Amino acid sequence: MDGKRHPSSFQQLEKLGEGTYATVFKGRNRQTGELVALKEIHLDSEEGTPSTAIREISLMKELKHDNIVALHDVIHTENKLMLVFEYMDGDLKKYMDTSGDRGALKPMVIKSFMYQLLKGIDFCHKNRVLHRDLKPQNLLINSKGALKLGDFGLARAFGIPVNTFSNEVVTLWYRAPDVLLGSRTYNTSIDIWSAGCIMAEMYTGRPLFPGTTNEDQIVRIFRIMGTPTERTWPGLSQFPEYKTTWQMYATQGLQTILPQIDPAGIDLLQRMLQLRPELRTSAHDALQHPWFNDLMQPQQQQHHQPQQPMMQPHRGYQQTVPSQATYDGY
Amino acid sequence: MSHMTNPLATPNQLYKRRSFSSLPTELQDAIFFSAQCLTQAAGILLQLPQSATAQANVVLARYWLVEPFMSREFNDVSAAAIYLIAKVGPSPRSPRDISNVYAYLLSPNSSFFRAPTSPPPVNDPSTYFLSDVAYQTFHNRVLAIEARILYALSFNTHVSLPHPLAITYLQALDFLGARKETVSKRVVEYLNTALLSPQMLYLTSQPNALAVAAIYNAAKDLGAKMPEYEWWEVFDVDREELGFLVVGMRSVDGWARKMREDVPGMKEGMITRRMIEDEMKKRGLQIRNGHGIEEESLDAEAELARKMDEKIAQMEAGA
Repeated sequence: MDGKRHPSSFQQLEKLGEGTYATVFKGRNRQTGELVALKEIHLDSEEGTPSTAIREISLMKELKHDNIVALHDVIHTENKLMLVFEYMDGDLKKYMDTSGDRGALKPMVIKSFMYQLLKGIDFCHKNRVLHRDLKPQNLLINSKGALKLGDFGLARAFGIPVNTFSNEVVTLWYRAPDVLLGSRTYNTSIDIWSAGCIMAEMYTGRPLFPGTTNEDQIVRIFRIMGTPTERTWPGLSQFPEYKTTWQMYATQGLQTILPQIDPAGIDLLQRMLQLRPELRTSAHDALQHPWFNDLMQPQQQQHHQPQQPMMQPHRGYQQTVPSQATYDGY
Repeated sequence: MSHMTNPLATPNQLYKRRSFSSLPTELQDAIFFSAQCLTQAAGILLQLPQSATAQANVVLARYWLVEPFMSREFNDVSAAAIYLIAKVGPSPRSPRDISNVYAYLLSPNSSFFRAPTSPPPVNDPSTYFLSDVAYQTFHNRVLAIEARILYALSFNTHVSLPHPLAITYLQALDFLGARKETVSKRVVEYLNTALLSPQMLYLTSQPNALAVAAIYNAAKDLGAKMPEYEWWEVFDVDREELGFLVVGMRSVDGWARKMREDVPGMKEGMITRRMIEDEMKKRGLQIRNGHGIEEESLDAEAELARKMDEKIAQMEAGA
């Protein structure tokens, strides 16, 4: 944070997007020629520096990782705040629209993106940061096929003891059921639910649970994952949004709705889309999932290592979640 | 990223703050103490949780570690700290509420920092009415300082408080066999008082050490039985730091009482920059508006240059 730097150190190019509290421009560093993304935040004469910007800056300064978009600099002037980020070519939403087949991506691309997404999430969680707003629009992609987490405006650090959080977070479609039910003590598992929704969306090109209201969002989830009961989810009736009038849906197998996903992929997805947050897998465990065994790591590609068998049993992998009856690959 | 620890002041920062300020130490301390008390009073009137107000106290101390006292009005800095912390936390307060509370606390109607008078002042709302224009100017100043604070803190507004830790430690120590409520209350009192200490204890020690020292002091006060062994080491605190903090915490009360007797103006409401300037004039001292360090070094340089000129002149005259 160099106080001497000035907004004019960057040449402002085309507008990349408009967010809730900021406008993002493509920019060029006049000295180095390097491309950057300039996030301009207008300082309101009433509110001053938005709390979202303060949170985003304080967290992004610390979160340095290959799968998290890098914050290079902050320029604070009297009426605006400019965040200088590394330049990325686009977001996952745009990538699916332009490079996908009616939005759907190729299995190996999805696997690579999911691996990078979970890597980024795992790093956040290790540093005790919840992203809280993961969605395709917030995942940035560059021409080298790298995926990075962006937009930490809603992110927050969590400490011990866990405070109660606002439940007005996470775009509806990617919002975890426990948050929809009014939980204020959610944790890292809310980001995992979002990652699961994003994985399904990459296969189909369409959002998995495109709800219109909080209520509709809950129903759409139950229609596929089955309506929980106090028996399948102890404590369920204690949630503020619990309704005795919910229609009872039977659990549908994810593999019937998403036939394009291979069995190992379905198993991973099943572990991420657990209704009960405590049963959801962690980013760390998800990264160990056998589905990733045939992922071509960049260094592996160079050395032409023999591809690992898809179904290699994994010793360290704990089956805490019962997999679907129709699938028992291991 | 650390959530259980705080960024601490470096010895160099502490030394510079003390040595290069143009204000005498006791005036620096008086300013620090009154602004921290004002922040606490505002937190109460704004019905903020004490955890938020305490964080504002720490942010204020961090800001004054690197920024000179006299560069901004003290009560404005206090308001900016509390506005900022409330905003980033779960209980934001509106700018108008903040302004009204400070207008009240600074008015003659408020009992803040006033000698107790026999009849309490008659409530006169006109003394703390804030017009739209006055509100706007005040809030603009607050926002300007907010930006300065964020810059000084490099946007790191996170403060880890020792209070929850202290309660956890007390549980581990089985509340030292004392009544839970009594000993917990005393511990929290020590921790809150320490926020006001001009020794800036929250900037020199980590939360675990503050928590242990508060427990030690509370146990002494209540005659509670502490474990025989060196129990503080279990909480990663060494004897030397514990000793420093125990004395530091115990001395705040007595120091504050004496200071409020000795330093003029401490019974006339919140102290202001004007009051400090007048006091300095009275003492025949000069305020360099917080730029003591630069001017001193400039003076030294000028002095050196003059001496060198003389020397050269002598040499030339000799040659």
